[in-house]
Amino acid sequence: MEVGQMQRRLAEYTKSLFMEGILDAQFLQLQQLQDESNPDFVVEVVTLFFDDSEKLLNDIARALDQQCVDFKKIDAHVHQLKGSSSSVGAQRVKNACVAFRNFCEEQNAEGSLRCLQQVKQEYNLVKNKLETLFRLEQQIVAAGGSVPMIESSF
Amino acid sequence: MAPAIEGMAPAVESSEGNNKMSKGYQYPSWKKKLRGLLVDNAELCRIVEKGIMGLCGVETQAVETGEAAVELIASGATFDLIVIDRFLPSMTGAQTARKMREMGVESKIIGLFASYFEGDEEDFVAAGVDDFKEKPLSPNWLVPILRELDN
Repeated sequence: MEVGQMQRRLAEYTKSLFMEGILDAQFLQLQQLQDESNPDFVVEVVTLFFDDSEKLLNDIARALDQQCVDFKKIDAHVHQLKGSSSSVGAQRVKNACVAFRNFCEEQNAEGSLRCLQQVKQEYNLVKNKLETLFRLEQQIVAAGGSVPMIESSF
Repeated sequence: MAPAIEGMAPAVESSEGNNKMSKGYQYPSWKKKLRGLLVDNAELCRIVEKGIMGLCGVETQAVETGEAAVELIASGATFDLIVIDRFLPSMTGAQTARKMREMGVESKIIGLFASYFEGDEEDFVAAGVDDFKEKPLSPNWLVPILRELDN
């Protein structure tokens, strides 16, 4: 596949992530922060997001598994996950966290478990999509092309 | 070229090294040299927020705790804009803001929070915070505030 085709494929793929609400405008901000002095900013921040999220999701699962569930602690974890997902533009993860916090407030274990599954699902989805996106970018760069900036008016 | 993000100046594309086209979004440049202090314990949020404040033309120092922020101010540092996260490990965001006001800080203080529950604002308002924002901190939101500070 030649570079032009790859670039078009990347553009289409990226656009689909916004159309499906998986990413929001905040992700574009991350791209704004990437430049010659910070060439891998997006990948670095997203990797941090993956590491953070996985730890938080594990902590939440463990907390929900206890005899005596500490909803305050879970709420704090979910709050942090909401903060980081909103900072990278992972819109659906962020929205799933909002619902989760309501169940924590109500101290509803069953509802919380359901929400955890929901958040995990959304997280795995965005992780998958972003890894694909980075792979597509790498292919373009490997072929000697450049990765075009996204325009947001979707 | 159409504006890429509502409220921002049109993008100017240019290709510079590194296999990536560099951004060229025209952020306003300020008459004054604007200095910012960011207080956020969450690493990822801190990195992104510091970047965005920088992008908006604010030379920003970032710290992880309220104590560290207060120490900076006690050492004589002054800032045009202070952004404080609500939840900090020991001294809370509100407590940090209150302490700063007690120390005579008159800068614009903005409270930041990851999610909002009713009553959250009162804490911040009582502490002397001027404005709040639910994360993420965005240039669209920040630039008008900076424009005011610059005048």
